Amino acid sequence: MKNNKGTLIGKDLLGLGLLFLFLLLFLFSEQVSTSEQMESLPNAMVNVNTIFLSIVIEAIPFILLGVFISALIQMYVSEETIQRFLPKNAVAALVPAAMLGAIIPLCECAIVPVVRRLIRKGMPLHVGVVFLVAAPILNPVVFASTFFAFRNNPTILYSRMGLAFVLSIIIGAIILKLFKNKPDQLRQTANMSLASHHVHVEGIQPQRKKATILTQVRDTLYHAVDEFFMMGKYLILGAFIAALFQTFLDRSLLETIGSNEYSSTVVMMVFAYLLSLCSEADAFVASSFGNQFTDQSLVAFLVYGPMLDLKNTFMLFAFFKARFVIAFMIIVTFIVFVSVLLLFGWIL
Amino acid sequence: MKPYDHSFHAFIQGIILIGFALLMLGLILSGNIVYYIAPTMMPFIYFSMTTFFFLGIVQVFRSTKKEDDHDHDHTACNCEHDHQINGPPWVKVMIYSIFILPVIFGFALPDRGLDSSVAANRGMQLGSGINEEISKKSANKKETVESSDSEEEVSRVDDYLDDPEGYIDSLGSSSDDLQDEDHYVIEDLYDEEWFDDYYVELAEEMMDEDIIVVTEKNYLDMMTIFDLYLDKFIGKEIEIAGFTFRERDFDSNQIVAARFSMTCCTADAGVYGTLIESSEAENYDDDTWISASGTIEKDEYNGQTVPVITNATIFEIEEPDSPYVYPSF
Repeated sequence: MKNNKGTLIGKDLLGLGLLFLFLLLFLFSEQVSTSEQMESLPNAMVNVNTIFLSIVIEAIPFILLGVFISALIQMYVSEETIQRFLPKNAVAALVPAAMLGAIIPLCECAIVPVVRRLIRKGMPLHVGVVFLVAAPILNPVVFASTFFAFRNNPTILYSRMGLAFVLSIIIGAIILKLFKNKPDQLRQTANMSLASHHVHVEGIQPQRKKATILTQVRDTLYHAVDEFFMMGKYLILGAFIAALFQTFLDRSLLETIGSNEYSSTVVMMVFAYLLSLCSEADAFVASSFGNQFTDQSLVAFLVYGPMLDLKNTFMLFAFFKARFVIAFMIIVTFIVFVSVLLLFGWIL
Repeated sequence: MKPYDHSFHAFIQGIILIGFALLMLGLILSGNIVYYIAPTMMPFIYFSMTTFFFLGIVQVFRSTKKEDDHDHDHTACNCEHDHQINGPPWVKVMIYSIFILPVIFGFALPDRGLDSSVAANRGMQLGSGINEEISKKSANKKETVESSDSEEEVSRVDDYLDDPEGYIDSLGSSSDDLQDEDHYVIEDLYDEEWFDDYYVELAEEMMDEDIIVVTEKNYLDMMTIFDLYLDKFIGKEIEIAGFTFRERDFDSNQIVAARFSMTCCTADAGVYGTLIESSEAENYDDDTWISASGTIEKDEYNGQTVPVITNATIFEIEEPDSPYVYPSF
């Protein structure tokens, strides 16, 4: 690499050029964006862009929160600590996991890197899954927004929270049953490079200085950035596709399909998946559908969306094996659908 | 395979982070951030902007550590090296494009609010929609109350038609007993006392006004109030602003003044509008910002009871600074 000075300078120039481009755009953004060529772009394109950027900018702080927590776990929580706090019995761990999920105030964007990190640190897969589906719904912010959006219909709030708690345990239990003998469902590419790296590190291990606070902070930051770039691309792709649906999907179409209780529940679940809303805000969207849809389908929308959506699927595929993600998606979809039908058909 | 060029990737990543931070800064400085994010979310945006600037600078410094740095200090964090962006060059270019393009789009494309084509796809709410839920829930319970209510309504409309000024005067004096009646009905429906208190108070306040001015601030509350207590407002003068919008089945004298409401970002934006009937309606294309003033009446649209502003005078206005309206809590 070192003897290749030419490419090195080329790469530096590439980076500097990019920086220059950004600065130029920053300074002349108004001139560019109000220029005739830009103004004459089709409205649909501008709308897609608006919604796309909106989702990305909105999700970034929460992704950052997620990667920072993940980096902190990486740095400061050891495998032993996790083992110590977990109940020895796999089934017994489910309920405390769901309760812990209720305490962690993370939305569905932030929870993915955290869960992945915890699993990597030795948390059993099924416990991680419980977090993954419980935390985005069972959290104070979501509780408050659902309360406000459905002030006049508290059934929605209680069904949403109750179902999230119970279903996260059920989903965790099914994952436990299915993947009991193959707990390692994280993507493997990492471990291969780990192996090669390990040999390399072993030799220099003795000379390693003891980590100072400064290097610890620095490593935490490095982890956070690396993970941001790891996740960010999936977030951005997911946000773009969601923005397309947001712009072009005619919602009155859904209303015509979703006339009976089964089809309306299915329609609202598909809808929740495609829109990829943040769990903090989805209650307000659901309440704007209040007229046309039954309580049952609204609850399905509110429970399913945070557990699984388009933007999320991209991130899951990045971290977990494809087979696992597909199994997870089928389980969550099936369980949410059936339980919503049961709850509103027989109990309420 | 070539060794992974840490320094180059750190450099590019740092610049991308700075690019994102610049984009956010630019949007904040120009005020155009309102097209993307609700004001309540702004602290989060400040957080990510500063974090990005900081991390971007950290990354650029990280890149100055050359890979002949033999103790591998900056990477020997005993973590798995799963963050590397691997693959042939075109894959790397693709991956970085995913990050670079949003920044370029953000700067280059015009910042505009959502328009009526999105409104059409989202489905317009005439009123807050809260009315339907209530009537659905309490249909049996309220039946008797409602029927007497609507009879009273007819007589009140007659009153108004006979003697508009006298009727409006009498509204003020009778509002107290109307209030009691509301209270009875509402408390029947809700447990949360603050909820009805809030709207009852606001409705009372509004009924005392000569002209009801629907502003950005009270927009969603007024939509709710018109749904809850529309009958009490019939015959009142109203002034409302919004962008114009038409459903396919509208008559030529019908138009809607609509606003997008946003909770966090445009993905959760909903459209709330008020039906306007005016001979001037056809002069305005969709997506024109208008202010309309007229008289509130009750009408039905697609089987839903909605407020309608009749005999409205319409004039074009500048697009407001904040294109969206936000929930008041």
